[in-house]
Amino acid sequence: MTISDDVQVPGAVASRRSLITLRDVAVHYPVKEGVLQRVTSHVKAVDGVSLTIPRGSTVGLVGESGCGKTTLGKVIAGLESPTSGDLWFDLDPSDAENVDRLRNRDPKSMSGEDRETWQRLQGQHRLGSMSREFQGRYRRNCQVVFQDAFSSLNPRQLVRDIVGRPLRVYNEASGENLNQQVLELLERVGLGPQHLLRYPHQFSGGQRQRISIARALALNPEFIILDEPTSALDVSVQAQILNLLVSLQREFELTYLFITHDLGVVEHMSDEIAVMYLGRLVEQGPTREVFDNPFHPYTEVLRDSNPSLTGDSVADGHRRLTGSVPNPIDPPTGCRLHPRCPVAVSTCGWRVDDVLEQLEVSSPASFEGIEAVERSSEFSAVIRLTDDDASRAMAHEVTDLRGALGNVEVDVRRDGKELRVDLPEVDDITLEVIEPGRMSACVHAQSGNWWNK
Amino acid sequence: MAHDALLRVEGLSVDFQTSRGLARAVDDVSFSIKRGETLALAGETGCGKSVTARSILRLVPQPPGIYSAGSIYFQGIEESEPLDVLEASEQQVRALRGDRIAMVFQDPSKALNPALTIGRQLGEVFAEHREASVFESAGLGTRSRGASRYLRHRGGLVRRTAYRFTHPSATKRLTDALDERVLQALAETGVPNPRKVMTSYPHELSGGMKQRVMIAQALACDPDLLIADEPTTALDVTIQARILDLLSELQERKGTAILYITHDLSLVRQIADRLAVMYAGRIAEIGDCRDLLSTPLHPYTQGLMNAIPRAETKRGELAAIPGTVPVLIDAPRQCHFVSRCSWAGEACTTHIPRESHPLPDRQVSCLRFESAAAVGAAPGDMPEQYASAEVTT
Repeated sequence: MTISDDVQVPGAVASRRSLITLRDVAVHYPVKEGVLQRVTSHVKAVDGVSLTIPRGSTVGLVGESGCGKTTLGKVIAGLESPTSGDLWFDLDPSDAENVDRLRNRDPKSMSGEDRETWQRLQGQHRLGSMSREFQGRYRRNCQVVFQDAFSSLNPRQLVRDIVGRPLRVYNEASGENLNQQVLELLERVGLGPQHLLRYPHQFSGGQRQRISIARALALNPEFIILDEPTSALDVSVQAQILNLLVSLQREFELTYLFITHDLGVVEHMSDEIAVMYLGRLVEQGPTREVFDNPFHPYTEVLRDSNPSLTGDSVADGHRRLTGSVPNPIDPPTGCRLHPRCPVAVSTCGWRVDDVLEQLEVSSPASFEGIEAVERSSEFSAVIRLTDDDASRAMAHEVTDLRGALGNVEVDVRRDGKELRVDLPEVDDITLEVIEPGRMSACVHAQSGNWWNK
Repeated sequence: MAHDALLRVEGLSVDFQTSRGLARAVDDVSFSIKRGETLALAGETGCGKSVTARSILRLVPQPPGIYSAGSIYFQGIEESEPLDVLEASEQQVRALRGDRIAMVFQDPSKALNPALTIGRQLGEVFAEHREASVFESAGLGTRSRGASRYLRHRGGLVRRTAYRFTHPSATKRLTDALDERVLQALAETGVPNPRKVMTSYPHELSGGMKQRVMIAQALACDPDLLIADEPTTALDVTIQARILDLLSELQERKGTAILYITHDLSLVRQIADRLAVMYAGRIAEIGDCRDLLSTPLHPYTQGLMNAIPRAETKRGELAAIPGTVPVLIDAPRQCHFVSRCSWAGEACTTHIPRESHPLPDRQVSCLRFESAAAVGAAPGDMPEQYASAEVTT
């Protein structure tokens, strides 16, 4: 499952330990409505993400606003507990194998040896069930740098207190010793002793981000989550911070999860890249390969939409996404991109809602004539209209819509003023390995019928 | 040259009163925009690009803003004489805003009124600037005060009106005529299902859709100049690409000149004909967009270009510009870039660089090029640390 599977150099095994392993992580937020605040539905912010972050590498997590990348970052930082799925810390390759083998099995049916392994893994490596001692180790080793250094630094504390706080919490240093250590940290990120007794508001954005980085470094962690660390900064300052991050990574052998929406930055910074859309990963692989030859149309559109200093102008016929991001309460079936996808086909997972949305845009007048829609499943429904003529007209319109729906087979049966619409049922499309190290959740890539070849 | 310029900004300086003294946000800025061209004004946070743009519509609040020097000449198609926006009466400026010069702001969710439907907000533009033609298409020859008041009420400009109770049929016709205009303006920007959008409130629309509505509003009166102040900064890249497509398509169709404010140099290449780079309130370099991006001359422009991560730059070896932007309160008379510049010499701390033209259609404000021009040397021959003695004040 991991990206590094193909790199099985014997000596390199130890260094390719996976630091963080996510398996089917989902975060659903309840939506409460009404006087009684009953839970009516769930916002599926993250919906089944499996990801492996190898030690010593930088994994870039890219996606647009609202795709769940920050939520996923919070889960990994332990700031948000997942609704389902699990997170494993510091697994060596054989343990990783064991996890994948045992996690879907009932512990009662395991053999004695397996049960022992499972219990050890649970107690030492799985976030949520690990013992206090291991939990402490995890928390120390996993630090976060947030996007907005204005709000992530306490305005009423001095820099010394902000950066020294982790050291104090873990009883690492106090008094003069603490000042000394904080000063060393500040010097490492390019600040000096004159900054020790200042408040955050006295610094510029770039300097504030340096303070955040110093605080993250205080406990000598192995892993840092960088949640859009440079989005609020100007390019010239961004370059300073990126350089600093790279030199710190080399010096302290850090592992980074780089969350960003800026493809230029992620291309520059990361070894591997995971592209996220509406709570799911759609593509994953080594950065260079993903950029040169994307295996998912979303990645391609993202790459081509990103303005570049050297590329051609906008109006040269790149593919674009249509419409806007669907509601994460009720995400599209099949591939989540399909209603907006420029190369969608019939197997992408079209459902009744897609037909209705298309109807609303193409013929708003007859859409207004709909009295009720009774769904028996996502893929079949009965549309009731005001009269026979309206249903006859709509039957034609729905059949004409096929072109906009990737030529999917729509089965329309008319019965008086009722219209029964059936679409082929499609399972959720998940990440699959296409080539060693490359994964994609696109039907084109999975079936080998490329859209771009 | 000057006669075909749509807009000329000459020596514009804008100060702001602060508790610590006068801050010069814009310092002796001059540029011009021709009809139908796109000028991009690029620079980092606080370089004065937005203040410059707002000054064109005289939108900088006074106080704390002070227009301390310079003038802004706007030459509309109908007017024979260019109008100095800074000297004009409030009435004249009001007639310009939204009609001849329109503006799209960065954050569409803040720029739209949350309490009015999209249809009513867009109607405001027509009620303000196209009253006569709305009356005409409604078939109402005589403009009564009540009818005019009703029209402004529809656009949210006036609170109450009794007109619709006294003249129900005229009201209907006026409303329909106004809605027709709004519908057309929305359809032009590629808003799907415009009739539904018209009746919705801003919070019901996505960010990209809101920005489309803003553009529809700005282009409703076919302005000569559109000022776009970072219109895509708040949007995702995929949406941004579509908004840029839309802007260039509309520009082609309507021949509107665009002043495009941005902090993102990589965007500029796709949309602009000419580019002006600003630093600390002054213009560092102006020139043809593609030329400027391929051969930047000013050290700041060069630094900015090198700081953008590209595929070929090695990790950790981005050429960052050292230091930070200087404080502009009571700034010394010198080149503001001197503390971050690798070329800086003695003379840079005592002179404000003036414009020189080292290449055709290129204007650079750097002492190095100024002194090269003074002694007639090619800019490439100049020593790196050039402490100019030849330059006189």
